[in-house]
Amino acid sequence: MNANSAHLPSYLEQSEAVQARFASIRERDVVLEVRNLNKRFRSTHGEVDALRDINFSIHRREFICVIGSSGCGKSTLIRILAGLEQQSSGEALLDGKPITGPGQDRGMVFQGYSLFPWLTVKKNVMFGPLANGQSTSHAEREALLWLELVGLEKFADAYPHQLSGGMRQRVAIARALVNQPRILLMDEPFGALDAQTRAKMQSHLLDIWRNIDITVLFITHDLDEAIYLADRILVLKPHPGEVQEIIEVPVPRPRSAAQFTSPEFLATKARLEQLIHPAPVAESENEQAVKPHMIRFTNVADNVE
Amino acid sequence: MSTFPKLLRGMDASTRKRLAFGIGSFLLPLLIWSLVSYAPFIWHPKVMVTESGGVDYFQIGMLVDKEMFATEVENMRQAQQALPAGTPANPIYLPAPHEVAQALYRGLFEPLQQTDTLSMPASLWHSIQIIFWGFLISSLIGVPLGVLAGTYVPVGRLAEPFIEFFRYLPAPAFGALAVAILGIYDGPKIAIIVIGTLFQQVLIVANTTRKLEPTLIEAARTLGTRRLQLLSRVVVPGILPDLYRDQRILLGWAWTYLIVAELIGTSSGITWYITQQARYQHFDNVYAGIMVIGLIGFVSDLLLARLSKTLFPWDRSQERR
Amino acid sequence: MQAKHLIGRTLAALSLSIGLATLSAPARADVSVGYSDWPGWVAWQVAIDKGWLKEAGIKAKFEWFDYSASMEAFAAGKVDAVLMTNGDALVTGSAGGKSVIIMPTDYSNGNDMIIAKPGIKSLKELKGKKVAVESGLVEHLLLLNGLKKAGMKESDVILVNAKTNEMPQVLASGDISAVGAWQPIAGQAMKGVPGSRPVLTSADEPGLIYDVLAVNPASAKKNKAEWLKLMKVWDRVVAYITDPKTQPDAVKIMAARSGVSPQEYLPYLKGTKLLSLAEGKKVFAKAAGFKSIYGSTKVADDFNVANGVYGAAQSVDSYIDASFINAN
Repeated sequence: MNANSAHLPSYLEQSEAVQARFASIRERDVVLEVRNLNKRFRSTHGEVDALRDINFSIHRREFICVIGSSGCGKSTLIRILAGLEQQSSGEALLDGKPITGPGQDRGMVFQGYSLFPWLTVKKNVMFGPLANGQSTSHAEREALLWLELVGLEKFADAYPHQLSGGMRQRVAIARALVNQPRILLMDEPFGALDAQTRAKMQSHLLDIWRNIDITVLFITHDLDEAIYLADRILVLKPHPGEVQEIIEVPVPRPRSAAQFTSPEFLATKARLEQLIHPAPVAESENEQAVKPHMIRFTNVADNVE
Repeated sequence: MSTFPKLLRGMDASTRKRLAFGIGSFLLPLLIWSLVSYAPFIWHPKVMVTESGGVDYFQIGMLVDKEMFATEVENMRQAQQALPAGTPANPIYLPAPHEVAQALYRGLFEPLQQTDTLSMPASLWHSIQIIFWGFLISSLIGVPLGVLAGTYVPVGRLAEPFIEFFRYLPAPAFGALAVAILGIYDGPKIAIIVIGTLFQQVLIVANTTRKLEPTLIEAARTLGTRRLQLLSRVVVPGILPDLYRDQRILLGWAWTYLIVAELIGTSSGITWYITQQARYQHFDNVYAGIMVIGLIGFVSDLLLARLSKTLFPWDRSQERR
Repeated sequence: MQAKHLIGRTLAALSLSIGLATLSAPARADVSVGYSDWPGWVAWQVAIDKGWLKEAGIKAKFEWFDYSASMEAFAAGKVDAVLMTNGDALVTGSAGGKSVIIMPTDYSNGNDMIIAKPGIKSLKELKGKKVAVESGLVEHLLLLNGLKKAGMKESDVILVNAKTNEMPQVLASGDISAVGAWQPIAGQAMKGVPGSRPVLTSADEPGLIYDVLAVNPASAKKNKAEWLKLMKVWDRVVAYITDPKTQPDAVKIMAARSGVSPQEYLPYLKGTKLLSLAEGKKVFAKAAGFKSIYGSTKVADDFNVANGVYGAAQSVDSYIDASFINAN
């Protein structure tokens, strides 16, 4: 990889089409704006800065990925945006109005699916509309529409435990979108899926995003996933959680699996690697304590290599 | 009977195996019991006198220690008197299976001579009513309180320390007070069941409630559920299968309090029947009564378990059983 | 969905039926009496089963209890009268459940006993040996009286406190030379240790313990007529039980109430001396000693104080109302 990077273009170089696209994005309204956001936790080790001075804004129908190693506060960030946690200072504005708690103007998809196990697929999707006081018949019509969009209309009466992981996450997406939120917040939604399903879900998500009026904030720790999906990538650095860089992805759209080896893609990935794993990080104490002592259990002549 | 083999063939191998183990788990203790009862060389620490011989205090049907019997036989031999005879026997506290079976039949099907005393089925029916009301009242208070204590931290902090303390107080000790307040009939008995069940129930239900996955509540909140709706839309349906399981276990506990409850106020019910029969050393009847309670408990729990499959089709923990 | 509704409806119906079955409370009677498993009290069952109470025009309800539960119910004011021993009347009264004794039903005539191990034939031989009794109860009193009569003191034996219910095991354990118990526990103790025999029974000391009908003072005043009628019925009961011709039928009724066979029950009845009203009248004559309920109750009071059952001596006379039995 490092040998190759010498021949790669800079990740900052953008083709004209990509430049034009970013220009048009910047023209659009700002949906979400985060200003001087801080979050401090009180833990057994004293006060910890989970997020420090976070600033960014997202435009309408933009696809933003947040990436960073574990402990960088990316989950805290998305939970504050969802209204599930309160920031210590600063503000987060949705369409210019401060976020104070959870609301149906933001949809959230969790890594663990979080479907209601006692409700059928259809009833899971109907949950939001019903909670917001819509009639059962209206909620049912909406639910079926969104289930069709994620390709699960045949499973409307199944229970979540009867579905595969990928199918469950489709239900979770439909359940979040049926409320027609301004922004879809996704917290490592495909983290628990196998590679094949994950790839399928990624392209499916892009399909959905293309076809409906939705802005996406997507958390991941998978670099390929971030580059494949995002317009811009917000890189967080841990201890304390700070914005390290916001990268405009130079890979042109529409995206496809073939682009994974394109120079733009590799250049972006090289930059991300550099930001996230700068030097070999010291192993944690626990890892150092593990010192295997290899004993030979097979015949001396019985070699596998 | 002819349908039984057909039934067996209809089952798959694992179900058949499980059924075999299930039957075995009952047959094994029965086998041990039968061995101890019918094989004279196993245990049988007593001798039942069949002929008193020259021993002045021996009476036919009397149970004597083996050593004592041997000594007396030796004494009589030396005194050149008639030898006593006897057969090995178990203590009166361990009746044989057939004696218990007979007692069970007598208790369940033979009419009583007296109108005033309750037959075994009537006693049992009375006990079931006590349990029903005790458990219902306890649940009407305990389940909502437990759910609230498990959902809202302040409620839990306010309620649980006292309940934690109170659950150690022996319910039977409140018998006299219960009689003074609630009279001599079923009131105090039901109260003892309630006192015995309620406090455990609150703690167990609160604990079950706390085990609900927190992301389900968060998911509901992001979908626009208001705080008050969370309880009815997420918490209660979310814990329902576990709550049902808790209730089944608690119902079993309620039965254990019956034996003290029925000695309070006017004597009634199946456990009073057992106590009274034990007082007169009728251990065949005692065991019959115990079996009836065991059977009722076992069958009702089996039915409730079946029912839960219909009630909670989404509950995955059932698939493992 | 269909199945769920069906189950719900079945459950609802079931609960309703259980509920209705419980709610049918017994009709209110003029006087209520708590009775328990002692031959002199089970005797009332004859009057109940034969319908003699109704015949006599008494609306009396007899409630069947465990003995201690019956005294609790009386103390709590839930029954108007209770059948107990004169000593227990004092104990119950000292804790606030004051009663007046209006008639005796019987005295123990052998049902209470001190049982010694094989080889010990008299009370005198117990000198220096361990004797188990339940402290403060009837057998304790019986033993002390027996020792006194035999010219001995309490300190001549080593008293061990044990629960009456456990006496059969205590005697069989080997360490103890004698135990005190009443029937049927005494019988079990003797069965358990073949060759053991009673060295002292309540038959040796008739009147040591009287079993009595003790009535709530308020009810005694208010329902005097009812109580008097009830006492008349008692005479009929005693006659029916003691008459050899009708005794088998009476025993059958009593045995069924206690849940045993008539043959088994007969010995317990023999250990009880039922008192007719005429005999009861004699017992209610004021005198010292065990021939009179006054003397017997005084002994019980002294015994209770000495054993710390309650603190101060009580007025024995205030517990006994002879006007009822003398009116009959």
